[in-house]
Amino acid sequence: MAENLIEVRGVTRVYRRGGEELVVLDGLDLQMERGSFYALMGPSGSGKTTLLNMIGGLDRPDAGDLLVAGELLNVLSNAELARWRADNVGFVFQGFNLIPVLSAVQNVELPLLLAPLSRKERRERAEYALELVGLADRGDHRPKQLSGGQEQRVAIARAFVTDPTLILADEPTGDLDRASTEQVLELLAELNEKLDKTILMVTHDPHAAESAGYIVHLEKGKLGSIERNTPAPVGAEE
Amino acid sequence: MTGVPLSYNVRSLMVRRTSTLLTVIGIGATVAVLTGILSLRQGFAQLFEASGREDIAVFMRPGATSEGESAFPRDRVDILVKSTPEIDEGPDGRPLASAETFLAVRMRKLDGGETNIPIRGVQPATFVLRGDDLEIEGERPTPGSDEVLVGRALTTRVPGARVGEVIVLNTTPFRVVGILDHGGPFASEIWGDADRMMAALERPVFNRVIARMRPGTDMEALSKRLENDKQVPAIVTTEREYLSGQTAFLSNMLLGLGAILGMVMGVGAVFAGVNTMLASVAARTHEIGVLLSIGFRPLSIFLAFVRESLLLGFLGGVIGVLITIPLDGIRTGTTNFQTFTEIAFAFRVTPGILVTAILFAMLLGLVGGAWPAWRAARMDPTEAIRHV
Amino acid sequence: MPWRLVWRYLAAHPFRSLFTMMSMVAATFLLCLLQALLASLDVAVLNAAKNRLIVQSAVSLFVTLPHSYQGKIEAVDGVEDTCKWTWFGGYYQDPENFFAQFGADPGSLRRMYPEMEIIEGSYEEFERKRTGCVIGDLVAQRFSWEVGQTVPLIGTIYPRVDRKPWEYEICAIYTSNAATLDRNTMFFHHDYLDESIDSGSVETIKGVGVYAAAITPGVEPTRVMADIDALFENGPQVVQTTTEAEFNRQFVSMLGNVPALLSSIGASVLFAILLATLNTMIMAGRERTHHIGILKALGFGDGTVFGLLIAESMLVCALGGALGVFFATGIGKALEPFLISMFPGFAILPETQVFGLALAASVGLLAGILPAWQAMRLRPVDALRAEV
Ligand SMILES: Nc1ncnc2c1ncn2[C@@H]1O[C@H](COP(=O)(O)OP(=O)(O)O)[C@@H](O)[C@H]1O
Ligand SMILES: [Mg+2]
Repeated sequence: MAENLIEVRGVTRVYRRGGEELVVLDGLDLQMERGSFYALMGPSGSGKTTLLNMIGGLDRPDAGDLLVAGELLNVLSNAELARWRADNVGFVFQGFNLIPVLSAVQNVELPLLLAPLSRKERRERAEYALELVGLADRGDHRPKQLSGGQEQRVAIARAFVTDPTLILADEPTGDLDRASTEQVLELLAELNEKLDKTILMVTHDPHAAESAGYIVHLEKGKLGSIERNTPAPVGAEE
Repeated sequence: MTGVPLSYNVRSLMVRRTSTLLTVIGIGATVAVLTGILSLRQGFAQLFEASGREDIAVFMRPGATSEGESAFPRDRVDILVKSTPEIDEGPDGRPLASAETFLAVRMRKLDGGETNIPIRGVQPATFVLRGDDLEIEGERPTPGSDEVLVGRALTTRVPGARVGEVIVLNTTPFRVVGILDHGGPFASEIWGDADRMMAALERPVFNRVIARMRPGTDMEALSKRLENDKQVPAIVTTEREYLSGQTAFLSNMLLGLGAILGMVMGVGAVFAGVNTMLASVAARTHEIGVLLSIGFRPLSIFLAFVRESLLLGFLGGVIGVLITIPLDGIRTGTTNFQTFTEIAFAFRVTPGILVTAILFAMLLGLVGGAWPAWRAARMDPTEAIRHV
Repeated sequence: MPWRLVWRYLAAHPFRSLFTMMSMVAATFLLCLLQALLASLDVAVLNAAKNRLIVQSAVSLFVTLPHSYQGKIEAVDGVEDTCKWTWFGGYYQDPENFFAQFGADPGSLRRMYPEMEIIEGSYEEFERKRTGCVIGDLVAQRFSWEVGQTVPLIGTIYPRVDRKPWEYEICAIYTSNAATLDRNTMFFHHDYLDESIDSGSVETIKGVGVYAAAITPGVEPTRVMADIDALFENGPQVVQTTTEAEFNRQFVSMLGNVPALLSSIGASVLFAILLATLNTMIMAGRERTHHIGILKALGFGDGTVFGLLIAESMLVCALGGALGVFFATGIGKALEPFLISMFPGFAILPETQVFGLALAASVGLLAGILPAWQAMRLRPVDALRAEV
């Protein structure tokens, strides 16, 4: 049994809007082990994004503890959290979230600015990451000049270029067509298998969830179930 | 042609409140500086030009550009007056002319420092000549006595300037017997008997002669004739002309300053306007696409944005005017560099200046808005509509 | 600090960045010129010689002192040398061609004003020639006058009875790098003026404008000043002895509110530009909200996010400021010959350049702070949720 990379203990998150209180996460407990690929599923509005953001240190719980990659996140300052994110997490978003004024390779290079690397090393690593996602020849393109699938692959390159332990992907295939979806899932699976990244991917596409080793179901702010899954070799079905 | 309703513009300006406000204030500040300078100039010009009389002639020595430089020995004054039949007769049947001395005298200011106050030695005829233009509170100085009138503007600026107090000139004390009010520069002067002033200041010459001319006198011809006079050469102008000559330098300087500032600050204001309007256009790309595709013509779009920028300018103008109006009547002082004397005058905000302000502000708005509006009108509707 | 991002964002809105920069260019340009003008006013005061006193009439700048005073002043303990200075007030051909001319004592002028540096002709020649004169290099430049030339000057205060201009032969041209000796001035023999009055060529009272007195090093100037003043306490002309600095200051203070006016204009310009830049930066900050979320998710800290907007704002402003300073320096240099007659000592100094750059950078800083602070305070989740 591998050690736990993520421990969510009694985490509660409440949104207040006007006088109303919306309890999104309600004393959630959850453990995830290092080196595995998790798919996080649940109906829309069930708090998947909220949970993901908290695990990634972007948001804070109202109650409970978050122990991720050996760090108790809820006691860190904003600056410490930012530092921690830079060292430990790579994000992939549904809407790609590339910086439009930068070229593909510059986008990938961006998080490396936070690492103690020379300009040359940065460039080399960014180009290598782009190569891994199959976009070596698109390095000079601006995000606008790429297709959605290509954009998402650049975003994935940006997420792992700093060699983080954990990659968090929030509906990474939500905006993509079938073919691009397959490519993205394939890439994530590869990152998990070959580079041993722990991956947590929010999705409500059951097919996408099939790539994961575990499928976590969220229900009404609580853990529904965790099922073990034998990933089908990606791209093999149909 | 279908127009885009004005409420569309108002709403748009409201949505981008911060931007609108910053731009409007920027335009307002620009306009306020310009109108401030214009009203300063107006105040100065009004003081001199408006009070200068057409029927009073000023005689000076050729070459002199202001009375301080001019000089006439006593005997020459008599000759000058006798040899100029164009001078009108006074109530006593004698030529109505008065010789005056003029000197900028050093005085301590109440608020510290020194200033140069114009001291005018006058003859009784001066009061006849000026008549109702002068308003005297208290007594008129008795001819031949050490008494003076003090201009209203000086009472709060130099010590000893109230009735009953004493002002020392060189070594002679003069008693203040009255306060002099005048719509022109005399309210910044001290007046006393010409002979007593000459004695006190050890300057036995007159500086200029003023006289009332017979109606219809050709001043230019007279000046030409007197300039070449063998005995007492002199140049003659109307008082109005003399006074406006005195202000020309400052007036032009203020006008130049205003123009330069209006331009430079205007550039800044226009750029702010361009930025605001570009943002306004960019934010409404989708709307523009919709308007264009439902049949609004590019011209209507152009006009709608131009109108918005005019509105922006107009609001800025209003702010500028609101800043300027309280300036009206505020007194200030400067030196008249023709005579090196200090004169007090007030900012004068006229309707003309206010209209200029609004027009200038709208011009700034227009210049800032034209190009963004043109860009909006040239948008490709299908592409614009895709922009969300 | 991701500098590339700063540049990219600036380049992403080329017009907006350019316009903001240009308004900064205009503002800095204007502020540098205003600052140089204001600074020039004090140059003559700040750099005044410590060992020179000026004896002037206590009554008026325009009242002359008797010739007999010179020997008495020289006899005062601590006075080493004296020089007459009398304002001539002439012009060359046209009143527009105004420059300063003084009657002076050639010997003591040379001794007391070591800052006078003869660059052409010979001062000895000037000392020998009764009708000779020395002129500042700026006068020579302005009228293209050369050594050996005889120049006609029309006297306003000292008009000749024969109605002809005065004639002076240029014996030498001087320059000076001290603000205490204006390069726009002409000096001629005071004796020549006196003789002309004695001989009846000019009908005026003889007198001396002011006496400059050099004091022995180490002597207490206040004591010497008091001694001189005491000599003439009872007339015929009461005098007021001041340091050279104080004497120069009185001309500056004649400007009254003008320096304050100029300063407040400068402040308004700055204010207007600040608003325009703030407008731009708030826009930039607002559009950047989503990207700030991305950067924060990537692990960039609040400091970086803050710095990003500040850097953007300061970069635009500093670039604009540098260009503005550059233009001000160039155009200031070109204007120098024209301005220097009214504002001796006018120059765009390194201090002015630093002042301009510092102001521009401060505007950038101020305009950047609010949006940068807002960006810094954004919670990453909220920023990510913001519209693109
Ligand atoms: N900042 C917020 N303020 C108020 N309510 C929020 C906020 N963020 C999310 N919510 C609400 O919390 C619930 C969970 O949101 P989210 O975690 O985004 O759900 P999911 O990603 O599972 O669809 C939703 O009902 C959403 O409307
Ligand atoms: Mg979600």
